[in-house]
Amino acid sequence: MSPLLLQGIAGGIVSGCVYALIALSLVIVYKSSDVINFAGGELVMIGGYLGMFALLWLGLPYLLIFPFGALVIFVVGALFDRVVLTKVAGRSVHGQSVLVAMIIATVGLSYMLKGIVRVIPYTEEVRRLPPISSGTPIFVGPVVLQHQDIAIVLAAIAIMAALWAFFSFTMAGKALRATSQNPRAAALVGIPVRTMSMTAWGLAAALAGVSGILLAPKLLITPDMGVIVILALAAAIIGGFVSLPGCVAGGILLGVVQNMIGVYVSSRAISLAPFLVIMVVLLLRPQGLFAGRAVAKKV
Amino acid sequence: MYGAPPLRRLSLLLLLIAAGFALPLVLPQYFLYLGNFLMTFAVLALGLDLLLGWAGQFAFAHIAFFGIGVYATALLQARLGIPFIFGMPMAAMLAGFIGLLIGLPATRLRTVYLALATFAFAEAAQWVFNSWDKVTGGPDGLRIAAPDVFGYKLGTDPTAFPVVTIILAIMIAAAMYLTTSKFGRAMCAIRDSEHVAAASGINVRGTKAWAFAISAVYAGVAGGMYTLFQSFVNPDVFSFHQIVLLLSMIVVGGLGSLPGVLIGVGLLGLLPEIMRTSMRGLLVWQEFVYGVILILAMMFMPRGIWGFVRAWRGQ
Amino acid sequence: MNSHRRFVLRGLLLAATLGLTAHPVRAADPGITSNEITIGLFAPMSGPLTAFGLDALQAAKMWYEETNKNGGIHGRKIKVVIEDDKCNPNEAVAVVKKLITVDKVFFVHGGSCTAAAVAAQEFVTREKVPHVMLNASGDGAVIPATRYVFGAFAGTQRTVGATLAEFAVKELKAKKIAVIAHDDEYGVANTATLKAVATALGAQVVATEMISPRITDVTAPLLNVRAANADVIVSTAYPGPAVLIAQKYGEFGMMKTPLAQAIQGIPVPSAFAKNVGNDAALANFYYGSPLNDLTDGPKQQKWIAMYKQYYPDRTPSGFMAYGLPSAMAVTRALEKAGKDLTRETFIDALETVEFETGVIAAPVAFGKSRRDGSRGSLFVKFDGKTHTLMPGVYLWDGKAGM
Repeated sequence: MSPLLLQGIAGGIVSGCVYALIALSLVIVYKSSDVINFAGGELVMIGGYLGMFALLWLGLPYLLIFPFGALVIFVVGALFDRVVLTKVAGRSVHGQSVLVAMIIATVGLSYMLKGIVRVIPYTEEVRRLPPISSGTPIFVGPVVLQHQDIAIVLAAIAIMAALWAFFSFTMAGKALRATSQNPRAAALVGIPVRTMSMTAWGLAAALAGVSGILLAPKLLITPDMGVIVILALAAAIIGGFVSLPGCVAGGILLGVVQNMIGVYVSSRAISLAPFLVIMVVLLLRPQGLFAGRAVAKKV
Repeated sequence: MYGAPPLRRLSLLLLLIAAGFALPLVLPQYFLYLGNFLMTFAVLALGLDLLLGWAGQFAFAHIAFFGIGVYATALLQARLGIPFIFGMPMAAMLAGFIGLLIGLPATRLRTVYLALATFAFAEAAQWVFNSWDKVTGGPDGLRIAAPDVFGYKLGTDPTAFPVVTIILAIMIAAAMYLTTSKFGRAMCAIRDSEHVAAASGINVRGTKAWAFAISAVYAGVAGGMYTLFQSFVNPDVFSFHQIVLLLSMIVVGGLGSLPGVLIGVGLLGLLPEIMRTSMRGLLVWQEFVYGVILILAMMFMPRGIWGFVRAWRGQ
Repeated sequence: MNSHRRFVLRGLLLAATLGLTAHPVRAADPGITSNEITIGLFAPMSGPLTAFGLDALQAAKMWYEETNKNGGIHGRKIKVVIEDDKCNPNEAVAVVKKLITVDKVFFVHGGSCTAAAVAAQEFVTREKVPHVMLNASGDGAVIPATRYVFGAFAGTQRTVGATLAEFAVKELKAKKIAVIAHDDEYGVANTATLKAVATALGAQVVATEMISPRITDVTAPLLNVRAANADVIVSTAYPGPAVLIAQKYGEFGMMKTPLAQAIQGIPVPSAFAKNVGNDAALANFYYGSPLNDLTDGPKQQKWIAMYKQYYPDRTPSGFMAYGLPSAMAVTRALEKAGKDLTRETFIDALETVEFETGVIAAPVAFGKSRRDGSRGSLFVKFDGKTHTLMPGVYLWDGKAGM
C-alpha cells in the first residue's frame, strides 16, 4: 500500500475518533430524550476554551484540565436539561411539537454559548491549545504520527471502555438505559426519571467538552469550532444513531473516507463527503450500518 | 375547521393586496425591501409548515428547493430568455418534482433519520450551487437581471412590492384551501399517527410524497419571488443557518397554524432590525440575545405564540 | 374684508413669494448641507468576521475625525452613520438600502467582505450613489470597472495571486508551484491570476488544492501537495486553515520546500506562530502583505499610536490600518471636487486620485476604467521570531490572468 494511502488512513482514524466521541455525546442525548442536540458542537467549543483557561490562566497541569473541563460542562448540560428542557417538555400534550420545541431550545443554547464566547474580546483571534506533549513525531513505517494523535486515540479508547463499563455494570448506568428504553416503566420501578435525564445530559455534555480539549490542539479554538457537529452527526448516522459502538465505527469510517476522497478525488469534494455518506447510508440502510434490523418505534 | 375557508379570511387577503399597491407610494425603499424580504420568507415558511406542522414530517431539505427556485428562475430568464411569468412556475415545478423524488424514498425513514437525510441533501445542494460554476456562478454568485411582468420592468423594491404581495396572497389562499381539504385532513391524520391513518384507508406513502412535493413548490415560488427584488445571489444564502432560522420562525410563531407562521416570520424576521436599532453599542451581543429569546420562547410558549394565544382564549 | 385682514393676506403673499424665490429649487444631492457631509460607514461589527472589519471601520472613522479637527473640507465637517453588515450579502444590501433611502447619506463607505460588497453593486449603480469599499477585495464589483463602485484598497484577490506567483518565481526561483486555496470567490479569483502569471513567467502549477474555508483536517490536501513535488508551496487560506496547513506541513517535515502564505491567513504573525506552535515548521516560511511594512513595523507605528488615542480600550487587529487608504482617498477626492459638491463631481475627482498613503506598499490609484485601488504587495520572511523584509514591491499589471 502506498505511503499516501497509509498516512491518509492513519489520519482518518485519528480524526474519526474525535468525531466518534462527539457522536457518542449526540447519541446519548438522543437515546435519553429523543432530541437532536444542535448545541453539541458549541459544547465542544466551550470545552476547548475551558481547557485553555485551565491550562493558561489557572495553571493546572495538563492531565487535570480534563476532569476540570468535564465537570464544568457536566454542570452546564445538566442545568440546561433541568431548567430549560423540563420546562419545555412540561405540559406535553402533543408529542411531536414538543420535540421540535426542545430541538429549537438546543438551537437557542448553541447561539447563547457562541454569543457569550464571542463577546469576550480574547476570542476574536484564532487560539491554540498546546498539545498534551510535543516532541519528535513517531514513525510507524512511512506514517507520521504526532503525540497528540496517539493521545487522542488512547483517550477515545479509554473513554469508550469506561462508558461501556458504566452502562453495563453500574446501577446508574443501568438505570439510564432503563429510562431510555421505557420511561414509564422506569418510573414505576422507582427510578427518578428527571434525575436520569439530567445525568444523561450532563454526561453527554461532558463527553463533548472532553472531545473539545482533545481536539483543540489539532484544530484551533474559535467560537465557530462548533461546525464540526455536522461530521459527528454523519458519524452517528452511519452507526445507526442508537448504538454506541456504531458511533465509533461510524466515526472512524467517516474520517478515513474523507481522507480517501481528498486524496483520490479532489480536496474540493472533502466538504461534500459527510453529506454523501449520510444520504447513501440512509438510502440503502435506513437504520444505519450497525443497528441490526429496523425496529418499530415504541408507541 | 374543514370545508372551504370562510369568506372573511379571504377578504383579508384582498386587503393585503391593496396594501401591496398603496405602501410603495409612502414608504422609503428600505422598508419596502424589508417587506419584500419578509413576504418571501413567509411563503418559504408556509411551505415548511405544511410539511412539518401539518404532515408532521421532520424534513429540512427546504432551503435547497428555495435555491433551485432562485437559480432556475434567474437562469431561465438570463440564458433562455423565458420571462418571469413562465419562468417562476417552471422553476417551482422543477423544485416540486425534485421534492417528489426526495419524498418517495424519504417516506421510508423515521423521524431522526428523515431529518438528517434531508439536512444532508440540503447541504449537498449548497455544495452543488457552490461548485457548479458554469451554471450557478459558483461562489462568485449570480447577477439577476431585472425580470419583467407584462411589460413592467421589476427588480427594484417599489416596483416588485405589489407583485410580491399578490404572490404571497395567492400562496396563503392556496394553503388555506389545502389545509381545509381532504388532503389536509389526511396530512393531519398522518402527523398524529401513521398506523391509525393507514388503518383508516389513507394512502400514507402517497400523501407524504405529495406533501414533500407541495412544500417544495412553495419553496420554489419563494425562490422566484426572491429574483423580483434582489439583483444578486450567492450560495451563502442557502446555508444551514437559514434552515435553522426558518424552523425557529415557524416554531416560535406556532407550528401547524397559518396565522402562527406569519407571526413567527414577522417577529423573527424583524428581530435583527429591532436589535440593530436598539442595540447600537452592543452589536456583539446579538447572537447571545437571539439564543436567549429562542430558549425563553420555547420555555414559556412551546406551542408557539399562536398556540399561546389560542390557549389563552380557551380554545 | 376689513383692512386688517387685507394687510395680513398681503403680508402672507409677500412672505410666500420671498420664501419661494429666496431658496431656488435646485435638487441638491442628499447628505450634503452647507456645513456637513454625511457618510454611511458599514462593516462586520459582529459575527465571525468582526476581526476583518471592526478595526478597519474605526480607523476610517478616526481619519474622518482627524480631518474634522483640521477644519473639515471646504468648510464642511464629516458626519458618519454606522451600520453592521455581518459580512453577509443580504445584510449588506439591507444596510446600504437603509443608509441611502432612510439616512440619506451622500455616499456609502464600507465592505470588508467581497460577497457583501458585490451584492450592493446593482442598487448603488441604479440609485447613482458612490460606493467606496473599506478593505474588501471586491473582485467581482471592481473588475470589470463600473462607474459607482471603488474598491480593492488592499489589492484584489487577483493582485494577491499575481504577486504571490511573481514572488515565488522571481525570488524563490520556483519552476513548479503547488497552490492551496479556498473554494470560495476569493480562492477562485486568486488562483486564476496565480496560474496565469506563473505560466507567463515559465513555471508550472503542479497541484491545485481547493479546500473549504471550514475545513478541519488538511491531511489529504497536504498529502497531495507533498506528492506533487513542487519547488514552492503557495497558500491563500484564511487564518484557521492557514495555521492547520503550516502545522501539517511541519508534521510532514516538508520544510525543504518554501511555503508562502497570503496576508488573509496571517493578520497577526506572532499569533500565527504561537498557533502553529512549532517554529521549526517556519524555517522556510514567507508571507505577503499589502502594507508598506510589518504590521507593527516602524512605518505603521504612527497609525497604531493614532488608533490608541481614539480607542484606548481596544488593541487593534492586524486589519486596522486597512481602513485608512480608502478614507484618505475619500478626503482627497472631496478636496479636489471643491465646494460645489455633487455625487458625480465626487466620482470624477476620485478617478483622478493617485497618491502614496504611507500605509500600504503600492500607491492608490484609480482611472476612467480602473476601480481597484491598489495592486501591490511586499513579502516577509518569518521564522516564528524574526521578520525579514524581502526586497521589492511586487505589482500586478492589471492585465495578466484576465
